[in-house]
Amino acid sequence: MTFWMVFWKYFFLLVLIGFACMAVWVTIGGYRDIKSLFASLDEEHDDGTDKPGGA
Amino acid sequence: MQENLSEALGQTNFTSWDWLIVAVYLSISVIIGLFVKRYIKNMSDYIGAGRALGTALGVATLTGTEMGLITVMYSAQKGFTGGFAAFHIALVAGVVTFFVGFSGFIVGRLREMEVLTIPEYYERRFDKKTRVLGGIMLALGGILNMGLFLKVGSMFIVGVTGLSTQGWALPMVMITLLVLVLIYTVMGGMLSVVVTDYIQFVVLSFGLLIAVGFVIANLGWATLYETVTAEMGPAGFNPFMEGSGFGADYVLWQVFTAGLVSCAIWPTAVARALAAKSPAVVRKQFMWSSISFTIRFMIPNFLGIAALVYITVKAPELKQLFFPADGVKALDNLYAMPIVLGRIIPAGLIGIISAAMIAAFMSTHDSYLLCWSSVITQDIVAPLTKGGLSTAARIKLTRVLIVVIGLYILYWGLVYDGGDDIWDYMSVTGAIYFTGAFAVLVGGLYWKGASSNGAFLALLSGLCAILGLGPVKEAVGLNLEGAQVGLLTVVFSLIVLVVGSLVFPDKNKERGTV
Repeated sequence: MTFWMVFWKYFFLLVLIGFACMAVWVTIGGYRDIKSLFASLDEEHDDGTDKPGGA
Repeated sequence: MQENLSEALGQTNFTSWDWLIVAVYLSISVIIGLFVKRYIKNMSDYIGAGRALGTALGVATLTGTEMGLITVMYSAQKGFTGGFAAFHIALVAGVVTFFVGFSGFIVGRLREMEVLTIPEYYERRFDKKTRVLGGIMLALGGILNMGLFLKVGSMFIVGVTGLSTQGWALPMVMITLLVLVLIYTVMGGMLSVVVTDYIQFVVLSFGLLIAVGFVIANLGWATLYETVTAEMGPAGFNPFMEGSGFGADYVLWQVFTAGLVSCAIWPTAVARALAAKSPAVVRKQFMWSSISFTIRFMIPNFLGIAALVYITVKAPELKQLFFPADGVKALDNLYAMPIVLGRIIPAGLIGIISAAMIAAFMSTHDSYLLCWSSVITQDIVAPLTKGGLSTAARIKLTRVLIVVIGLYILYWGLVYDGGDDIWDYMSVTGAIYFTGAFAVLVGGLYWKGASSNGAFLALLSGLCAILGLGPVKEAVGLNLEGAQVGLLTVVFSLIVLVVGSLVFPDKNKERGTV
């Protein structure tokens, strides 16, 4: 096998493993972030501390 | 040919159960769009999700947006034609994105300024005319760029589900998907986009991993390497080798486009940085996203390679269609990946994979529609309106523009024959914006001497990128590759920014950098 054959094989494997781990982390962490996002929006609106409209 | 195409597309494992899976998924997306509407109270909520995204959610939405079905289709095509050598695009995309996250290059500084859009930054740093021109260039390049997304994405769905490529199927799929995307984007803005992006990330990630597993189990790694070697030789692995279809110029262009532009210049990606909780979250988000920026090219590349191998070793009837004898028109190789997936992946799972791909399609469309419409509202209409626009008027206008742009892409997809040069068309239209924007962003953020007139001229110089379009090159007799024209336009824009700033410096020296 040439250098590129070996390189792409291990690159592919490494990235796939990394992506699988990241997918699990983002699935769990993203759910927590969504709950936190809506909680903070509710709190912000209830307090009347809305940010100004346009730029 | 049309009969052969219909017959080839008709062989699929897609069943009624798979349709049900897709229908349930689409229904959930629309219901979420309707549900989050009650949280929208101001423009910051609508286009910036209240600037409250955490790292994991930021990674999900960035990935969901940038891993569009158009990217999946184009990258699969690259794998189909370039073999494993196409993996270099994934490699440079990941490395550059990690560098941007690690250093905070461009995105970190933009987030520190708490702007909502890139043109808004232009006004803070330069002046109103730069903001308006920046908005026009961005909207022009961006809307033209997404003109073919709907059609190419629908081609995948038509292909994998075994629907006929003629008659009602393609326009019906296009209209249905567009209507669904419009409903939840118009209703919920960025909030519904990030929540649906999250669900789409989950479905897409596990769907793609399952697809790769099935492909390797079906074909075997050794067969993949042996077939690519037999069909392409060493050029199927080495991107710098003559005959690979790439070369050093192309790799360098990918460092800029697939790497830097994709994560730090392209406004839909930057919008995620601007919606993050803090600059520190932005940096973490981009470092994590370097994995998904690699994957978004690598897995589709791999599926394209697998399609080539499957067609070569297991489906001689397809090989005749894609590689016909001299004089016969070949079947569009964009169809290769969906046809092969429809044959390899079993019923049930193909529904999940299709839902994942539709997720990729929808998450890109919703973000792009929201991005371009909010740029027109915030950066073109509002600055030019005497007395300014109220929050309610801005949200209403943005919603109207989302529908108008949606109708444009439907019209363009139906009337434009995008069978050839789709990527050339996309890269050139995108370069109209990003070549000038790169110079202005880097100059504005890191050089105190950059002036508003220099920035204005640099943005305009991005129009030179249109010389990279095939028909324009032929008309003016330009003998350069599109990648070379793009790189030269980048250099030209930087020179224009420097020369323009030195010749026409700002009177107000207080603006400076961040």
